[in-house]
Amino acid sequence: MAFRKIDIDALEEDALRQEELDFQEIGEPRPQHEVEAEVNSRAQEVRSLLQRGDLAGALSTSLQNPPYGRHLEAAKARNTQTVMEVLISIKVADMAQFVKNLSFEEQDVMMKYLYACMANPEQSNSGQILAWHEKLSEVAGPGCIVRVITDRRTV
Amino acid sequence: MCLENFSSQVAERHNKPEVETGASKEVLLNPLIISRNDKERVLIETSVNSLRVSIAIKQADEIERILAHKFTRFLTQRAESFVILRRKPIEGYDISFLITNSHTEQMYKHKLVDFIIQFMEEVDKEISEMKLSLNSRARIVSESYLAQFN
Repeated sequence: MAFRKIDIDALEEDALRQEELDFQEIGEPRPQHEVEAEVNSRAQEVRSLLQRGDLAGALSTSLQNPPYGRHLEAAKARNTQTVMEVLISIKVADMAQFVKNLSFEEQDVMMKYLYACMANPEQSNSGQILAWHEKLSEVAGPGCIVRVITDRRTV
Repeated sequence: MCLENFSSQVAERHNKPEVETGASKEVLLNPLIISRNDKERVLIETSVNSLRVSIAIKQADEIERILAHKFTRFLTQRAESFVILRRKPIEGYDISFLITNSHTEQMYKHKLVDFIIQFMEEVDKEISEMKLSLNSRARIVSESYLAQFN
């Protein structure tokens, strides 16, 4: 439909908008500053856990309550950074153990973050991310990947 | 690859791949990017009746760039006989496949998956082979040319 400049269907009254779709899945959008404060405090907490060497605690803390919604791009990027910091500080040999100890929700969230990390390979260590992906899909199965594709609560 | 026949919700009696038109948001799913490094990556976009797989081929130097370009061009010009090949790659990628519900009905799904995976495995090998043969050919040409001046 390249020859038409205006999308007339979007102007119709019963046209489904992106915001309505997001609302169904995510609910009321949270205020930006509140989410950003939460993400930043979590980043601090995760870093202090990492310094103390509590890798399992850092991993599950970083996967708690991720920011959802289209207006929160900065907070999402920040949180992805936090998760990535934890992921790259765990050795390949120990990965399987950590993955097994996660709950189902945490596994789903982690898979989302793995794909988010893979989407900008300049910032992440793709080899390690792929190793994580292999370990996680072994434990969680293909259903976990399908949930990433279908879930509108993107990270 | 659970694709089903799904007519357009926007225009009556039309049936188009939703991933291409993007006209109705509710039938599109999240796109996935799988990357080995920033040069080699695969983008998978899915929707209710179609799915699009785009591949960025490894291009380490100028020769590989030219070879990959010629190779994908050769293929896309013959897209008709490849059936699932998209005539034009998505921006930022070298080659795209577009699989619709009619393809999954006509062909075996697992064979389609195998084909794409095999393509990805072969294409790197193919290009490095072409690079080697190009280099050796260039060497022979230059030797035979310079032999005249002996």
